[in-house]
Amino acid sequence: MFVDFFYLLRKAGIPVSPTSFLRLQQALSMGLINSIDDFYTGARSILVKSEKYFDLYDQVFAHQFQGAELKEPNEFELSEMVRALLEEWLKDPKVLADAFGVDEKDLAKLSPEELIQYFLDRLKEQTEAHHGGSKWIGTGGTSPVGHSGYHPGGMRVGGISRNKSAVKVALDRRYRDYSQEGPMTPTQIGEALKRLRNMAPFGPKDKINIDKTIYETMKNAGEIEIIFDRSLKDRLKVILAIDNGGWSMDPYIELVQTLFNYARAQFKDLKTFYFHNTIYDYLWEDPPRRSKPYPIDELVRLDPETRFIIVGDASMAPYELMATDGSIHIEERSGKPSYERLKFIVNTFPHSVWINPVMAEGWSYTSSIQHIREIFPMFELTLDGLERAVTHMMRKN
Amino acid sequence: MHKENQAERFSGASKYVLDDELAEIVNISMALEMPLLLKGEPGTGKTMLAHAIAEAFNMRLIVLNVKSSMKLVDALYQYDTLTRLNDSRFGDSKRDVSNIEEYIRMGKIGQAFVSEERVVLLIDEIDKADTDFQDDMLDVLDQMEFDIIEIDKTIRAKHRPVIIITSNAKKDLSDPFLGRCNFHHIAFPEPDMMRQIVQVHFPEIEKELLESSGRTFYRLREIKGIEKKPATRELINWIRALRSDPDFRVKGLIKGEVPYLGVLFKKSPDYFVAQNAVSRFRV
Repeated sequence: MFVDFFYLLRKAGIPVSPTSFLRLQQALSMGLINSIDDFYTGARSILVKSEKYFDLYDQVFAHQFQGAELKEPNEFELSEMVRALLEEWLKDPKVLADAFGVDEKDLAKLSPEELIQYFLDRLKEQTEAHHGGSKWIGTGGTSPVGHSGYHPGGMRVGGISRNKSAVKVALDRRYRDYSQEGPMTPTQIGEALKRLRNMAPFGPKDKINIDKTIYETMKNAGEIEIIFDRSLKDRLKVILAIDNGGWSMDPYIELVQTLFNYARAQFKDLKTFYFHNTIYDYLWEDPPRRSKPYPIDELVRLDPETRFIIVGDASMAPYELMATDGSIHIEERSGKPSYERLKFIVNTFPHSVWINPVMAEGWSYTSSIQHIREIFPMFELTLDGLERAVTHMMRKN
Repeated sequence: MHKENQAERFSGASKYVLDDELAEIVNISMALEMPLLLKGEPGTGKTMLAHAIAEAFNMRLIVLNVKSSMKLVDALYQYDTLTRLNDSRFGDSKRDVSNIEEYIRMGKIGQAFVSEERVVLLIDEIDKADTDFQDDMLDVLDQMEFDIIEIDKTIRAKHRPVIIITSNAKKDLSDPFLGRCNFHHIAFPEPDMMRQIVQVHFPEIEKELLESSGRTFYRLREIKGIEKKPATRELINWIRALRSDPDFRVKGLIKGEVPYLGVLFKKSPDYFVAQNAVSRFRV
């Protein structure tokens, strides 16, 4: 029964296992499910194992049982594109307005819903006219104008400030928060990171060492002598600094997400910071790099045994690294070049590495990578590279 | 064997407001004898559900609080070597020192298995443990038996316990794990539902307070930049605090004063953000 439904779910991309489908049959035959509502909740709880898929399930369900129209894949893609457009728009409306050939101010007058509708219409035109019309959207924002850190007050588009408007959703997705989503498979990454551990006896002496106790008791002619030990705890402190800005990092997002997910599961004492291209006076505790700056000078307060891991492609214009006031963000005007800041970090934390998603073969072509390699030991973001990075960080000196 | 349980359907308990969907899922899971995995924001009543089921069916509740350092065997049984050593030295206990079985203590899962009656086994915050623990534990719960190596004995569950597993994690658990559970995600209650929940806890609450505290609460949840949003638990504690304060007036709440902010926001950065935002409520 409901075999179609099963296949439709799978087709929609929900990982439904045959076992769970059989279990649904069992539930049906036991007479537990007596109405379409029962079926809706029951089947969802048995078949769908993550709230991520609840929305998709709803769509498939409505299609199967209420004849609702299932969105064509095209439309899915289209809405993805609209989202990309919105991101663009929020970053720098001017670029996008130019791309559409309209005045920025006209677009700003639209309400969020109108804006989305406008994008959708334009996109439909576009796909019909050219196919693969997505190209020009993506590249529209790579122009350096976008790098000025100028955000046209995002939420103020159309003057809406309440939760849940479409723009807000898009706004939430504006910066990729690596912690929220990500592939969950490559267990090997977890395995590689697992070796980064520092077990040390810690806390009160509350664990009985049985072997020693028996030994001491025997030595004591049978008079019981209990030996206590401190229990072993993983005391490793890890700081993960991620480059989450700029287009140059985009191709590696998935890799970094995986790394991040495992790091979070693995380390008890993990601090995450974000930066763009390279580090100046501040690291940021929030992914949008806006509200929670963390001064680099403060790092000296932390335990120098902390493992400092930087993830970034280390690719930037040479002046960003070498010049005083090299930051491409206008508001970040420091007295010191990033180059010195990086040296400061290495001196503060002897166990630090730079993990680069760019493969090692490509390193010699970018001069900023060369410079950073002089400061940081650099490893590529592959299992191999991770393992070598871990070995490097576990070295005693 | 458990016909009497199946005949009775779960429909909530004295301090738990149940939505129909969840009730349905609980009943299906119980009938299929599958563990039910619950996810959702902290404070949405995942743990309370197990308590409510235990209360509704008059079953004993066994809670296994998962800790990060926990090994599976700790949850199953414990071999008390020290007492045995002590007994062998002093020989003044009634236990037979040569019989290791007398020194085996059951862990929480073990207790649930050997119990004479069907029990509710709550495995709280499974995401704290590592993946190996999770998978191994599901094996045990699937087979409904485990071995005690020291005495070479297999413990088989007398009755399949009703198993509720909770997880706070955003990331998903492993696939084999998920394959063996039913799943439900408890969404944050809508204002209407929340009103009912509050009324269950405070049956004689004044309507004015109920309305305005609820409104303020949802407004506070919307403040941006909060790491840990206040949840049901916080709201209930907050209302309790408001009601116990003789100087508190509902009118103040309507005007935008929010006393006892610390009950709602427990992280200091959150507290300051909220304080800031609240000061703007009044304007």
